[in-house]
Amino acid sequence: MRLDNLTQDQKLTYVGLLTEVQKDELVGQLYTDDSYFNPIQDATDNWIISVEEMEFCTIELFMWVKDLTLIEYTPKVNKL
Amino acid sequence: MKIGSTTINNCKIGSTQVNEIRIGSTLVWQFSSLDPDAQAFITAAGITNPTQQTAIDTLVLSLKANSLWAKMKAIYPMVGGTATTHKFNLKNPLDTNAAFRLSFVGGWTHSANGALPNGTNAYANSFLVPSAQLSLNSTHISYYSRTTGAVGNCFGAANLGLTNRTLWQFGGATNYISIYTAPANYFLYTGATSLSMLTANRTSSTLMNAWQGNVKKATSTNLSTALTSVALYLGGNNANGTPDTYSNAQCAFASVGDGLTDTDVTNFYTAVQAFQTTLGRQV
Repeated sequence: MRLDNLTQDQKLTYVGLLTEVQKDELVGQLYTDDSYFNPIQDATDNWIISVEEMEFCTIELFMWVKDLTLIEYTPKVNKL
Repeated sequence: MKIGSTTINNCKIGSTQVNEIRIGSTLVWQFSSLDPDAQAFITAAGITNPTQQTAIDTLVLSLKANSLWAKMKAIYPMVGGTATTHKFNLKNPLDTNAAFRLSFVGGWTHSANGALPNGTNAYANSFLVPSAQLSLNSTHISYYSRTTGAVGNCFGAANLGLTNRTLWQFGGATNYISIYTAPANYFLYTGATSLSMLTANRTSSTLMNAWQGNVKKATSTNLSTALTSVALYLGGNNANGTPDTYSNAQCAFASVGDGLTDTDVTNFYTAVQAFQTTLGRQV
């Protein structure tokens, strides 16, 4: 599954899969004006970024995020 | 423009208003009929839309007229439709962490209706640390949510072990609220929605209340423990330096400041709701 193929509904449930090296490249970096990447881990400890970060990325150095493989997102559970 | 250290707010020749002053062809001062604080924000954020300018000016005047302006540490009008315009604090519109300018992290979608976090990894760091800026028994936080059925924390911060926690969390038909309490001493109300201006307020060591719009939904006598010593996040929770509990509630306004009286909250809601109505995004 690729970014261009996502429906609006799928955008709510899919995320971009990162390698550990790619995660390290994105931490603390802007993906567009005044907006920073935030790689996080899903329930099975995959590193991921959101579809919004992929879609709205305008920084030349990181345009490769638009080609990331997409997976369904399963969040870690936080307690109240 | 300044002459020496004196700021020039207006310039008249006799009774005639001077509209601009130029040195050669360079514009060095321009007359504004807007409130100076509103004008400073408009200039910093680059707001050029006249309706948005009027809405901001009216909001500032209303907050000042109701003695609310001085009680605010940070006000985020979320106007202009981009991260760059949404990040500025109306109270101090400098592009610095010390001015509590928001830093958007993760997946946000910015539009004329405000800033929409994705509920997956998005939050905004206010850089406002309660222990450095606020009083233990006098604090409010508000978030104007345009989303029904939202999840997560629209704002939150807590120290290690969820101590001294500050939060507004959506949990189905229940909203969970806390300002500076022990981990389990949050309070809640049921039959709730995540839609409207949501205000959490502490006015003494034994009194907190939660407002949805101009309706007081719940009160609590749970004791304050200590001020949270990490920065407040919008759209998520700052768990002692680590973001979690991400929300998907679209934010059309937010504020942090001193505790508010019931009359203050009502006046505040009226001013913010008028602001939203002018912008055509009220809920």
